Amino acid sequence: MSISLTQDVLTVSQLAGAVKELLEGSVPPVWVRGEVTACKVWSSGHWYFTLGDAGAQLRCCMWRTYAQRAGRPPADGTSVYAFGRPTLFEGKGEFQFLVQRMLPTAALGDQQLRLERVKTALAADGLFDPSRKRRLPRYPSRIAVITSADGAALRDIATVTRRRWPSATLLVLASRVQGDGAARELVAALRLVERLRVDVCIVARGGGDRLDLAAFNDEGVCRALASVPVPTISAIGHETDISLSDLVADVRAATPSAAAELAFADVAVVRRQVQELGGRLARSLGRRAELLEERLARAGDRLEAAMEQRLGSAESRADRLGAELDALSPLRVLERGYAVARGPDGRVLRRRADFVPGNDFSLRVADGVVPSQVRVE
Amino acid sequence: MNSPPERIPAAARSLADELDRLEQIVRALEADDLDLDAALALFEDGVACLRAARERLAVAQLRVRSVLEDADGTLRDTPLDA
Repeated sequence: MSISLTQDVLTVSQLAGAVKELLEGSVPPVWVRGEVTACKVWSSGHWYFTLGDAGAQLRCCMWRTYAQRAGRPPADGTSVYAFGRPTLFEGKGEFQFLVQRMLPTAALGDQQLRLERVKTALAADGLFDPSRKRRLPRYPSRIAVITSADGAALRDIATVTRRRWPSATLLVLASRVQGDGAARELVAALRLVERLRVDVCIVARGGGDRLDLAAFNDEGVCRALASVPVPTISAIGHETDISLSDLVADVRAATPSAAAELAFADVAVVRRQVQELGGRLARSLGRRAELLEERLARAGDRLEAAMEQRLGSAESRADRLGAELDALSPLRVLERGYAVARGPDGRVLRRRADFVPGNDFSLRVADGVVPSQVRVE
Repeated sequence: MNSPPERIPAAARSLADELDRLEQIVRALEADDLDLDAALALFEDGVACLRAARERLAVAQLRVRSVLEDADGTLRDTPLDA
């Protein structure tokens, strides 16, 4: 075999770079189980250690950012789950595993590992991103409630809703929230939400085993929750015990009652706000009415009969109207004695000059239109 | 007895829309720089918003309904005691 030096000669860096690329491109981030030995903490804060089992060893590196989150460096012989990705450290020509998370197996059951796996997968898909959190609508009226049919959660939500926004409709999608089949039922319920034309969806868990959040940590449930087309509120975990669904939901509530409080505005507050706006609307008309009256006054004696109400009363009447909003309509204003004069073309006659002696015009009063004519002096 | 099916007014403005519009109208009227025709038209619009908002805030009974999907995929809702 002869070697041609004129072609296909790579530098060391080129070869190392190519291998690194191959390695990183073909092995995705992964969980690895093994025993830690020789963990060394550098002054930079990075950890270097070896992860091994009976047949092989991996040189591992955990950057400071990740190491800080992992707490204390593990003692020799500690069995751990490590999440990371393989790479080639070109400077030393060394195959390395870059660890991002490390969990001692002793402290974790299989369930916890599953949870970590799901969490990592959901995080990778951006399901926990603050940027995808939707805002709750201000005044929802139809809300889907996914919870167990017999649970206290529904009762609490109904009680709060009745007090805050009694005109609401709660559409209850019953689902088991723990035990076998709970995850499947939750997914089915979440998928029905988009057919209900609701404004918000609450997923609540009342009573039951405080610790059994398994269904709400299920990947399928989390993904179905993320796909609900309207903003979601979770009331699942407890202060100290947050489920992955709580992290996926747009808003997290501490309890089912709190979820209803977050979802619904207080109708009494909104009524006061409407009352206030109505009062302002009435007063704004009061000023308009004065203007109207002034203009009509200038238009001449003929119109006096149509303007018996004096200027000063407009404001106080308007104030009273604020309290009685039904009375607010232009017709009622005309009923108070104002009139609008319009020419044959429908144009409002505002000035004396608009009234040509001999010309027809119409006076719009409360109960109809009065055909009129400007007297020829 | 079954209560009547839910009615969803098509393309209806939401309460938030009504209140925003009302607020805008009141501000415009308070600014006092509109001509009379425009002001009256706006006022009328404001009264309509006000009425619509009040209707939405009218006293009503909370409805709690249980939704089930039939075998054929149809959704049915029935009153629920809660």
